[in-house]
Amino acid sequence: MYRRIIMLLLCMYSISVYAQGDCKLSVDVLVSEKHNGQPVYPLTVHIDELQREFETNEKGRFTISDICEGTYTLHFHAYSYEHAVEQVTIKKSGELKFRIGHEEHIMKEVTVATERNQTLLQDKDALNKQDIAANSGKNLADMLKNVNGVNAISNGATIAKPVIHGLHSNRIVLLNNGVRQEDQQWGGEHAPNIDPFLAGNITVVKGAASVKYGTDAIAGVVLVEPAPLRRMAGTDAELNLAGFSNNRMGVASATVNHNFKQLPALSLRAQGTFKKGGNYRVPGYWVANTGVQEADYSGAIGWNKLHYGAEVFYSHFETDLGIYRGSHTGNQADLEAAIRSDKPLVPAGFTYDIARPRQHVLHDLAKVKLYRDSKVGMFHLVYGYQHNFRQEYDVLRKEVPEAQLNVTLNTQTLNLNLEHRSIGVLAGEVGVDGVQQENFIQPGDRVFIPNYRSKGGAAYAIERYKGDDWTLEGGLRYDYRWYEMFNPEGKSQQVVRYEFDYNSVSGTLGLNKQVRDNWNVSVTASNAWRAPQPNELFSSGFHHGAARVELGDKTLKPERSYNLNVASKYSWGKLSTDLSLYTQYINNFIYLEPGADLLTIRGYYKTFTYKQTNAHLSGADITGTYAWTGKWESTLKGSFLFARTTKAKDWLILMPADRLSLNTTYKTDIGKRLQECSISIDAKYVFNQYRIPRNFDSIDYPRPPQAYFLADASIGAKLNAGKQPVYLSLSIMNIFNQKYREYLDAFRYFIDQPGTNLALRIRVPIQFNNQQKDQ
Amino acid sequence: MNNIQKLTTMAFATTFLFAACKKDDKKIEQPQPEEQELITTIKLVVKDNAGFNKSFSYKVDNGFNNNNPGTPVVDNLELSPNKTYQVEVLVLNEAENPAEDITVEVKEESHHHLFLYKSMPATGAGSLKFSNGSKDDEGNNFNQAIELTTGEAGTGSLTVTLKHEPANKNAATADEAGGETDAEAIFPVMLK
Repeated sequence: MYRRIIMLLLCMYSISVYAQGDCKLSVDVLVSEKHNGQPVYPLTVHIDELQREFETNEKGRFTISDICEGTYTLHFHAYSYEHAVEQVTIKKSGELKFRIGHEEHIMKEVTVATERNQTLLQDKDALNKQDIAANSGKNLADMLKNVNGVNAISNGATIAKPVIHGLHSNRIVLLNNGVRQEDQQWGGEHAPNIDPFLAGNITVVKGAASVKYGTDAIAGVVLVEPAPLRRMAGTDAELNLAGFSNNRMGVASATVNHNFKQLPALSLRAQGTFKKGGNYRVPGYWVANTGVQEADYSGAIGWNKLHYGAEVFYSHFETDLGIYRGSHTGNQADLEAAIRSDKPLVPAGFTYDIARPRQHVLHDLAKVKLYRDSKVGMFHLVYGYQHNFRQEYDVLRKEVPEAQLNVTLNTQTLNLNLEHRSIGVLAGEVGVDGVQQENFIQPGDRVFIPNYRSKGGAAYAIERYKGDDWTLEGGLRYDYRWYEMFNPEGKSQQVVRYEFDYNSVSGTLGLNKQVRDNWNVSVTASNAWRAPQPNELFSSGFHHGAARVELGDKTLKPERSYNLNVASKYSWGKLSTDLSLYTQYINNFIYLEPGADLLTIRGYYKTFTYKQTNAHLSGADITGTYAWTGKWESTLKGSFLFARTTKAKDWLILMPADRLSLNTTYKTDIGKRLQECSISIDAKYVFNQYRIPRNFDSIDYPRPPQAYFLADASIGAKLNAGKQPVYLSLSIMNIFNQKYREYLDAFRYFIDQPGTNLALRIRVPIQFNNQQKDQ
Repeated sequence: MNNIQKLTTMAFATTFLFAACKKDDKKIEQPQPEEQELITTIKLVVKDNAGFNKSFSYKVDNGFNNNNPGTPVVDNLELSPNKTYQVEVLVLNEAENPAEDITVEVKEESHHHLFLYKSMPATGAGSLKFSNGSKDDEGNNFNQAIELTTGEAGTGSLTVTLKHEPANKNAATADEAGGETDAEAIFPVMLK
């Protein structure tokens, strides 16, 4: 059972009922989203008096038939919405309309079934099931690029991680099914180990959000949330297939849900994904050793009663990734030779084989969740165990089977959360978190980051006060974190033990106001902090790809961010706009400063040392949608970022360039057998990043790539083969096989971005002879 | 549903197993760090037909884990002008005692390696010319052993580069070769 805060049954929009006067009443119920009027689906409604459960159809509707006059208590359960309760008195047959709103609206009788609720007022954006399906087969970061203000930092086409408002890696918290993802985010080539097919919904919280999600959430939070388990007796399944032409990649994923008729509280789910792709192609060339293989599975078992329940979840993620052979250069001269060359220096054809250099990464997550509704409120207890194992196979002279790096990161987390009942005018939640972590390499490994152990604890409270058309929210959190690190030092590589501890308070204050029916404004001030990571403290190794040496600094202090965000949602006739302005000041911002060249037997390397400065990042994410007709719609998105250091009064390096995108979609139904037909064209323009530090040429070469324009298109439809719907879509990315490079891609020195890529996607949701409960 | 039950059991088992065994402080094994295939030295063994037999070393005694720019210890390549010498290049790890001879590995994987030589100036006084380089196990250039002809008396420099997995085995310069630089030595040349 998996629900996040957010919702509330906002208002009973209208109850129009007509006389009848017996036990043959029939009521049509429609549940729609408050903001856009879209039907809410899937949504489960439990009616206490009837001891029955109903589920909305795709139009957000269900029918309660053969009921008597009386008062009924309806419990609404929907993924990404709060469990809400409403009582209605039904006297006549007719229609009941409910409109449910997002978290700007107060929760009165609220029970939340997830361990961590979303900060109510923080600026956020989400990918729903349809968005995820439309992008299936892509990795998480590439999928998130559809969210305005989110980019991806990448190593070629296969390794990517999200960037929110210019910041990434350890400055973003990922919540995978409510558990904070602890994989090894030490560098740009360490992508998050999450299978997006698990997700029913992905939300991006933009801006500092430590109070809710703990330390490190300086740039924001990505919430990957599975759909809730099936609550109605029966079985359903979904099959997803995707094929990509560029790297001849095939992806298959399947999910099966079951709920027992005899044991309605018991729900099961099993899910699995397999992906295999070969070398990808840039205009004119294959890219050597860029294959990918991924195999993931997960299972969940839930016991959900109305006021208490338990859930066990286990997921396994495993991937093999090839790294472009030409990106591993020996020294600065090799790197410069690779940059000068106008074609990839390592020639290649197509193959699915993955050779060195390559990565093999495993991530296991086991989670147990218990919840109970009581007089005090809803309690959640979540225990999570994560095992992350990363192997890196370097290019060696000798042919050995072993990996040169075998890092294990084991994490245990325990969270206790109470979503308390309203105390006077205040609604909110309090909680405590605990974490224990250990990270170690195997004897003989290349030293990368030191072995370490860590323990931490935190306590927080978030409260909301709701006025007529406004909500005020405030939160406070205290964190303590302790580290013990073992770093081999000097010529004899004597292991030296270090102990660090950090503690800090973070807070959030937000106000949301419904200025008019069509205009909502929110202002949020929040802060976050982050302890320096082991790689920033101790790294002393070289990056093959960049031909440089990175040196840590043991004296680094925690980073602290202060964030102010103003968001406005305004609609006027056929136009709806979404404007988000943000400014963020980061004290002790950790960055790499170039130092003296280091001469080794391999030649010269540039050295970079982790230093601290104060940074100031400001920007805007703008979205405007215009509905030409009921079927035609255009969306213009723009994202702008200005990132500066306040000490040197200079631009920050490696920040995403400004970008604009325009999407035009036509949707229509062609008869009963062919529905939801759509054709869509995307045009994207990415500016040249001219906001670079003054000393850019001495620390990074060449200058950021030129501006580029990209065009994508897709067509899709829902085919009804009898009662069985089949969703089909065909997309073409980089239609004109455009040759371009992206500043945030670490391979920009060596190769272009991928050429034309054709993707065919098939999605088949299957219902197995389920008993119809709602007729 | 068997699968699901298995998964769930597994999840439960893992969870409780770890919860149980983490009570006693499991000792984290300390790393025994080892820089993979560390090279410290390029050594030229130079001979001629008249019994000349000398070696010249270029040694950089720092791997990583050292913030100081390394200072190489370099021998001057002092040879006679207008003569031909037989040169063999050795690649050593002198951080070990006794020194580890990496040349053995390089020779075993000769088709994945290429030695390259560059003289400054390219011609005239103080220059060197190279010919008759040795071949790898597939008959392509390897150049671990080579013939060296000195020019007129004068001074110059010799750059010796060892490339790993070069894209072009027929390359004359390091840039053309592609691949990864494993080691690079610059010797001052004195012909007198």
